This record gives sequence, C-alpha cells and structure tokens, in this order.
Amino acid sequence: MSRHPPRASGYFRTSYAQDHALIQTRLEWLATAALAVALCGVPLIASPFLLDLATQVLLAIVGALALALLTGYAGQISLGHAGLLAAGAFTVGILFKEFNAPFWISLPAAAVTGAALGVVFGLPSLRLRGLYLAVSTLALHFVVVYLGGEYESKRGFSTGIMIDPPSLLGVSITSGRAWYLVMLGAAVVALLLAANILRSHTGRAWRAVHANETVAGALGINVAAAKLGAFVITSSMTAVAGGLFAYHRGFVSVEAFSLYLSIQYIAMIIIGGMGSLLGAVLGAIFVTLFPYAIEALVGMLPGSQRYAGSLFAVNYAAFGVVMILFLIFEPLGLVGIWRRLQSFFLLWPFKQRPVGGGRK
Amino acid sequence: MAELEIEGLSLAFGGLRVLDNVSLQVETGELFALIGPNGAGKTSVFNCISGLYRGSGSIKFRGQELTKLAPHAIARLGIARTFQHGELFPHMSVVETLLTGRHAHCRGNVISGMLNLPRARREEFRQRAEVERIIELTELEHYRHAPVDALPFGLQKLVGFARALAMEPKLLLLDEPSAGLNRDEREDLARFILRVKHEIGLAILWIEHDMQMISDLADRIQVLDYGCTLASGPPAKVLSNPKVIEAYLGHSSA
Repeated sequence: MSRHPPRASGYFRTSYAQDHALIQTRLEWLATAALAVALCGVPLIASPFLLDLATQVLLAIVGALALALLTGYAGQISLGHAGLLAAGAFTVGILFKEFNAPFWISLPAAAVTGAALGVVFGLPSLRLRGLYLAVSTLALHFVVVYLGGEYESKRGFSTGIMIDPPSLLGVSITSGRAWYLVMLGAAVVALLLAANILRSHTGRAWRAVHANETVAGALGINVAAAKLGAFVITSSMTAVAGGLFAYHRGFVSVEAFSLYLSIQYIAMIIIGGMGSLLGAVLGAIFVTLFPYAIEALVGMLPGSQRYAGSLFAVNYAAFGVVMILFLIFEPLGLVGIWRRLQSFFLLWPFKQRPVGGGRK
Repeated sequence: MAELEIEGLSLAFGGLRVLDNVSLQVETGELFALIGPNGAGKTSVFNCISGLYRGSGSIKFRGQELTKLAPHAIARLGIARTFQHGELFPHMSVVETLLTGRHAHCRGNVISGMLNLPRARREEFRQRAEVERIIELTELEHYRHAPVDALPFGLQKLVGFARALAMEPKLLLLDEPSAGLNRDEREDLARFILRVKHEIGLAILWIEHDMQMISDLADRIQVLDYGCTLASGPPAKVLSNPKVIEAYLGHSSA
C-alpha cells in the first residue's frame, strides 16, 4: 500500500509477518468484521432496486480495481477498458450460444481471452507512452467491438445474445440477492488479488516502471515484461468482470460497450484517487451512483416532468463538470479527502505528521 | 583481478563527441574516482556501462562484454548505480524502495504472489530480512516506513545509495553521491562508502566533485575533460598534475 495510514501510538510490530499483513490492528480487524457483516446483511433489508444498485457497484469495483492497477500503479493509460469488458462478455455469450458452456468454463475462458488480448493491448506500450498509448488502446477497443458486432450480425443475433442464468453448485442464480452475493464475492476476491500483487515484487516492479523506466531498468527490472505483465493480468481481471456483467444482464450486445463506458472507468479511478485501491472502490461507488443521484435531484425540482426528456444530457454535463472539479480541486480524489479526515482526527491537536512516519 | 575493463570507449551524439577513446580498469575492492569539469562525460561513461547509451569500444565486466546487453540484464549481472538526483520512486516507503532494489533476487511467480501463497510470503520475509541488513548498514532505522518523498534531500540520496546496495552488486557506480549534501551528511556518506568497501569488498566507480573527499578516500583517480582522459593514477599525483589544475581552474595568467 502506498501511504500508510497514521496510527495512534502504542502499536509496535515485532515480526515481518505483522509488517506484511493487510489488516494490522485489532481495531482494523473489528472494523473489517463489522463491514463484512453489514455487506452480507444488505440483501436482507434492501429493496430490490437498491440491491440491484449495490450489485452494479460491486461489479464496477472489479473493473475499476483492474484499471487502478494498470493506470494508477503500473502507469499505463488505457482507453480500451470497455473493449476488454466486451471481450469477456462476448466470450461468455459465444461459448453459451455455440457450445452451451457452463459458468465454470466460460468465466475462466473469459479470463484467458482477456489475458491474450492483454498481450495485444500491451504490445504498443513497449514503444508508446501517455496519450499515444491511450490512442492505440482506443483503436483496439474498436477492433474488439467491431468483431463482436460482426459475430452478432453473422450469426443472426443482431439485437444481441441472450444468455441463461448461470448455476453455481447446482443452484441457478436468478434472484437479486443471489447476484448481489456473487458480485460481492467477486469484488472481495478482486480486492484481495490486487492488494496481494501490490505487496509482492510484481507490484513493486510496476510502481517502479510507472515512476521511472530508466531507473527501474537499472534495478534489474525487465521493463517490457513488467508492462506486458500488467496488461495481461489486469485485462484478464477486466474480462472476467465483463463475463459477470453478461451473465448478470442475461444479454450481450455491443451497444453496452461504448467509449463512454471506458471514460466512466477512467473517471472512477480519477475521482476515487489514482494509485490507491480504496480510491478505485470509492470511485466505482461514486460514478455508478452518480446518474441515479442526478435523476433524484432533478426529480425534486418543481415541474420535473418537463425536464424528463433532457435528463440524459443533464447527466452527461453534470458528470463532466464533476470530473473537472475533481481534477482541479482534489487531484488526490475521494481517497485524499478520506485520508485528510483520518489524519485530522488521529493527529489532533497537531497538524503535521512527523517525518519519521506515523507508523514504526 | 579487474572487475570492470573499459577499452577505447567512444560516444557521439550527432557531431558532438562526448567520449573519446576512454579506457579504464577498476580492480576488485578498489574505490576508483572519475572526476572532471561539468560536461566532461563522466555520467555518459556510467550510462554506457549501464546500457542506456550505446558507444563504440568494449566494456567488460568480469570478462563479459556488456555493450550488447539490455539495461536490466546488465543490472542483473551485479552492477548497481545511484543517480545524481536520487531518482527514488514517489509514494514508496524506505522499506518498499529497498525491496524494489532486491527485485532481481526475488523468486516466485506472479500467481503465487497474487494468492499470497505461503512460499510467496516466506520469500517476502526473506527479502525483508535482507533489506533490514541494508537499513542497519546505512543507519536508516528511524525512517523505515517513512514515504521517501517526504524525506529531506540528504536522506533521499542515502536511500538511493541503500537501494543500490540492496541489489547486492559486485560493482557499484556512484554518480555524485555527495552533491547537495551538507558537511555532516558528507561525513556520514564517506563512512558508509568506506564501510561498504571494507566489509563487502565491492569495486566502486565513483563520480565526485568534492576534491577533499576524493583525495582522502579514493584509491585511484581518472580525470576526464571534453571526453578525453587527462590523467590517471593515485590521488596525490593526479591532483598535482598541472593539466588537471588547468582544466578545473583555467589558464594561469603568468
């Protein structure tokens, strides 16, 4: 993890295992347990609409975590995120239509497709940087979406591919509650995998490459391999998210994977805070819920019926404004606000952290 | 035995000759200083050794030719370097920075790391213990978990030095390690350089502007000026060489 949270005094670690642990203090364990109970309790109390919203958020978290690893940590900009989601969704759709493949075959297949595409998406990164790399990934996005569209029209599914709900351990997953739990599991697994990568030598190599490729090379890090590895792993994660998306909707169609979707994912990691997993999670929550919040706000205005037609435009505009505001006023994103709050309470009445670090 | 042998190294950017037929040899356990006025080509020699620039001529490390190898392959042979401006990775703590320096020694694949398997954890702890050794050597205990970008410049340079040591190199390239340090920090640095030389027995190639430090510490000196070798030999002899004095201070009016 990049920035260690400040800690109250009296906490000392006496082994490397404690140094390595993701959850360190008893209070953190308690908080995690409380959060786990709360998350598992959601389906018992939430309305079907809220539950569906939560499910969407959890799915977005998986995709946002993958992009946060690629862009926030490994420093490789990608505008092809929607293309990778599409690749995963179409892998699931095609395997279902052509071979009637079950859940436990098509999801790993989506992962493999994602990994293979990751190599293709990653190859330009060996030569290109920044905007140029972004444009090359954008081109690949269009290639994937084009291929998906071709498949749809050639096989006569011009409106999209219908997929039956998957069954897990003999239970067909159809209800909102079941889907919520599946997505919760996926999000937790994605978060753990991401956190583990970051505390291994692979994650450190990615961060080194992000900061300075020359220096990374001088430390014996194979820069090309690190970049390709980052693309392969995160693309694989993204494609799995795409596959889950397809199963959840029960329907795959190219229209769902527009460039706007890629931009939404980039917005998630910018608004949430670059270079932080917590940021990706917060950003995914924010961006997914944002249109619903705008809708609710517009609904509260007097004479709301008259605006109903322009809701879409209002949404886009408000989204753009929020993104610009974040870039200007809070480049650290939501996670920056969160950390400031945390520091404020832990350090009070002092303002600055000592240089030796709050954690020893 | 010579650790590093450079023979007839030349480098040109377009019409600009940066290095002209430079040759030098660094022996095992030797502290070899490379000096010269600004723009003399000292850092270019480093960049040629670590594979960032491709010159003509031969650079051999323990008998192996380096000129065709990729930078990371050269580093993995056991050649570590520091940079003039530290060049640390922002947002990393000191421990993470040194662990990154140990990348070439880390075993285990991505998958076992992703799943945090017991063998990945054991490997991580092993590396962490090695890092602790370096922290002790460079007396960075107080700053283990401090983010490197919050450290004062002198400490950042020391962390850069420690990161190079964490690679367990056989040859260490130090690029102006004392630039920007105050007197106390320089004395600490001199102590660490000597400690590394005597305890680990590294060969060190050292670019430096601080003449006092060089004449006190270096075993041998080579002076570059406009890419050419001006003089080389033991410090006392080189630093009293009129040509060297002229290159640094200009012509005498007499």
